Amino acid sequence: MTRYSQLAGEGRDASDLPVWRSAHTLDLAYVGYGLLIVALVLVSYVLGVFHWLPHDPEQIRFDLLNAPPGSAGHLLGTDFLGRDILSRLIVAIQAYFLPGLVAIVISLVAGTTLGALAGHRGGEVEVLVTYFNNLVDSFPRLVLILLVIAAFKADIYYIMIIVGVTGVPVVASLVAGKIAFLRQKHFIEAAHVLGLPSHVIVLKHILWYHCGPLLVIRATIGMGEAILIETSLSYLGFGVQEPMPSWGNMVQAGANYFFQGKFWPSTAPALAILLTILGFHLLGDGLNSILEDRGGK
Amino acid sequence: MTAPLLEIENLRTYFYSRSKQAFIRAVDGVTLSIARGETLGVVGESGSGKSVTALSITGLVSAGPGVISGAIVFRADGVEHNLLQDLEQYVRLKERDGRIVEASKDEPGWRKAVERLMAPVRGKEIAMIFQSPKSALNPFARVGDQITEAIRLHTRAKGPGEAKERALHWLERVKIDSPRLRFENHPYGLSGGMCQRAVIAMALASEPSLLIADEPTTGLDATIQSEIVGLLAELKTEFGIATLLISHDIRAISRLADNVAVMYGGTVVEHGPAPDVLASRFAPKHPYTTALLASIPSVQNVRDKGYLTVVEGEVPDAVDLPRGCRFYARCNRVTDDVRDKCAQHEPELQEVMPGHHVRCWLYTE
Amino acid sequence: MSGSSRPPIRSKHAARGVAGAVRTSGIAPPVLAADAVKLSALRPVTLVLSRELALTALLLLGVSFVVFVILFLAPGDPFSVLLEGQMPSHEARAGVRDALGVPKTWYVQYVSWLGNLLRGNFGTSIRTGLPVFGEIVRVGLSTLYLTLGSMLVTLLIAVPIALHSSVRGATPLNRPFTLLAYLVSALPVFWLGYVAIYLFSHKLGVFPLVSAASPSADRAWLYSLLPICVLGIGNGTVSEVVRYLREELSRVMAEDYIRTARAKGASVWRHAFKEGLLIPMTEIIASKIPFILGGAVIVEQVFNWPGMGRMAWQAAQDRDFPAIMGIVMIAATLVRLGSLLQRVVYVAVNPRASKQRRGAGWAE
Repeated sequence: MTRYSQLAGEGRDASDLPVWRSAHTLDLAYVGYGLLIVALVLVSYVLGVFHWLPHDPEQIRFDLLNAPPGSAGHLLGTDFLGRDILSRLIVAIQAYFLPGLVAIVISLVAGTTLGALAGHRGGEVEVLVTYFNNLVDSFPRLVLILLVIAAFKADIYYIMIIVGVTGVPVVASLVAGKIAFLRQKHFIEAAHVLGLPSHVIVLKHILWYHCGPLLVIRATIGMGEAILIETSLSYLGFGVQEPMPSWGNMVQAGANYFFQGKFWPSTAPALAILLTILGFHLLGDGLNSILEDRGGK
Repeated sequence: MTAPLLEIENLRTYFYSRSKQAFIRAVDGVTLSIARGETLGVVGESGSGKSVTALSITGLVSAGPGVISGAIVFRADGVEHNLLQDLEQYVRLKERDGRIVEASKDEPGWRKAVERLMAPVRGKEIAMIFQSPKSALNPFARVGDQITEAIRLHTRAKGPGEAKERALHWLERVKIDSPRLRFENHPYGLSGGMCQRAVIAMALASEPSLLIADEPTTGLDATIQSEIVGLLAELKTEFGIATLLISHDIRAISRLADNVAVMYGGTVVEHGPAPDVLASRFAPKHPYTTALLASIPSVQNVRDKGYLTVVEGEVPDAVDLPRGCRFYARCNRVTDDVRDKCAQHEPELQEVMPGHHVRCWLYTE
Repeated sequence: MSGSSRPPIRSKHAARGVAGAVRTSGIAPPVLAADAVKLSALRPVTLVLSRELALTALLLLGVSFVVFVILFLAPGDPFSVLLEGQMPSHEARAGVRDALGVPKTWYVQYVSWLGNLLRGNFGTSIRTGLPVFGEIVRVGLSTLYLTLGSMLVTLLIAVPIALHSSVRGATPLNRPFTLLAYLVSALPVFWLGYVAIYLFSHKLGVFPLVSAASPSADRAWLYSLLPICVLGIGNGTVSEVVRYLREELSRVMAEDYIRTARAKGASVWRHAFKEGLLIPMTEIIASKIPFILGGAVIVEQVFNWPGMGRMAWQAAQDRDFPAIMGIVMIAATLVRLGSLLQRVVYVAVNPRASKQRRGAGWAE
């Protein structure tokens, strides 16, 4: 049974309700969870940078190997060398946080520029940008990164540049699509007629008002992707090297013990990856849903 | 007098705006009937609820809550179908001050029930045509195949060859050019007018008892519009099929309709024989109807006044319906002795002449 | 847009020889007109397809250029190493560069490298000394097997979910299912692989694992089942496919022609299938190929599967430029082939495709 009820007062002012009243509860839950994750990541990043950690992440304790969570003040237990897992998880965030931001900035800035150019100028510019997009999309990202690693070195920032560049097509087509859609609406023509210079129209009206939320959503999803790439690469052995922790290399290192029945050293970082990426994805998804609902009504 | 072919009683179809947390009362108590062979024209502005009424009849309303109360009886093939049977089992309403303020509906359950109820009727006994004929046809299938699909589903011609024969026959009946060629074409190769002819052929090919035409001429070029209206008029004399014609094109209505119902704000405000309702002078009329007729760009109107009269104001927000008569705010025939009644109470439909009903305090005691 | 009468096409097609011979003499005019419609629709289709082919070639050219630029700019002049590797083995490899004397311009290097590529000469692997192309083909088939298998798995899971949630709308079961899909997608694939191995191989002993040697052909499918499932489920593809399919299906369900089908009492599904499921399915799968190939790198690592992905990992470790370059080229080619195939399906299904100019691709 779906229930529809009209709030008290006929003839009430038909102004729209604030966002949190009209959105689906589930979308709000998604956004809430996502924001929580973002907050945790930020906090952990700061903690990691200043080394405000419960334990020394590199301290080996042979007497406490593979301790379960909760033993002797180790909230999340210890790994196969007796090192505190929680501290290592926190420190490992530095492996992807700043590089991830680099990737996001690159894809958003370059993507928006290309998309705006293509959408606004159309014609040959559009063809060129489309070609560029299809070209970039032809590469499997991980394989391309391996090429760069082979040619240059396994530097996370080089890698994130690649991640950023491969993220450009999505952003560019989003922006260009939005512009193509908005062009049909007459306010762009009106703005032209009023004498507003082109770049003002594009920057202010289109990008800020309309694409802003879309780009924020893209940024959240982009961060999720960056985390995935970084952890995958360090799992493969190309990222941060031991004893420096990264969620990826923690999973890899704990893998042997996995088959001996000691799941936790591998599972703890895997859960961290899961919950964090989930948080970013749900945040993006929830925001997207809410945005669509508002736009529709 | 034989029982009418279609009887709609007190139909209510509501939608819901989540951002405003209020009902959109698209159809708010509509009562109509169509006799066998009768063409009923329904006029009104956009937003008056005409299309939603049509969709409610065939159970095509998908947004929630949709149809919440009323009865629709359809008599065809010797069988009486109650198209809103057991609706009460799926809906719970809560009223306050005579207005519905809460509706709970078991939507999946009702949807299943509707599909069951409508299965023997849709396409077979009741056929529908819509506006924008180009988008009404499946762009991935040939025009002819879409017509034969209807034929093989609903008539006795089950074989592909036989169905194709009939389809071609109907394409000729609707005066489409090169029927054999058009049969093989895909919709993108046809113009708007030709598409509409094909759609009409598709609708009539299953030999229904009732044709519901929802704005069949809107969206077509002016010359094509009159061609389609002419076609419908010819088909009407040829087959005598009952038609519910919804349009805001008054000239089409006057050419095709036997009876006319005028809708405003989700209800029927006037209902009667076409000449009475549409004739400019003598019969008593709802102020909305008079205003509507006066605003038609016609030589007579302009000659009489020198300018086009406009119906002042806007269609009422279906969310925010006023207390009294729905048309009160825009009415230009209010007199002092009825003003209070108009503002406070909604009038009922009253028979002011045989067969002619008006919902207005000017004609009611 | 009436285009009522068409001139007899017969002679033109007889001249082209395209089915003209079949259509000659003894055909009544109405049927001929119908055939004429079909035949004249053929020509634009082949035109569109040849245009797609040309586009693919152009894109692959661009891919080769990008690869070239990366290697050319890399420290240590790996490009010369590559070119030397492309020389036939009986020539003194180390001496080639000196022997030629004149330093080659980048343009010449690019062209000669590309020429070799097109002849199937991908150079020799630094690690093994064997021709790269042959190696890639050998392992590439294993990866292709994984890739196609995982696509099947993904579709088998995603399509029912998308159908259910699109047709039923917002049912209570809908959201948890989607959430489950998201959850599984966010799981790191490598960890999921370990769990799968532990559960199915160690504990339950159901699926055997690949040992160092390649599995024998007749039992190969059994070995591949686990990695295929892990790749198909755990890579994050499922949730995106579900989302895209559901969007497209919902969009199509709201189209006017579906309303007509409903009003007609016809099977909605028959009408919605092409645009609502078939086309979106091919579109999303084609666009996910690069993603799946990337996932294969990881999955092959976890399962020790002898495929292209593991070869790429090895090559990156060893700085084996020819090998990794070859893999990038082959992978990109696979991606573009998949895209081409998708376009073929689209044109075949959509009668309007041959007439329309292909949009700028903002559709996704």
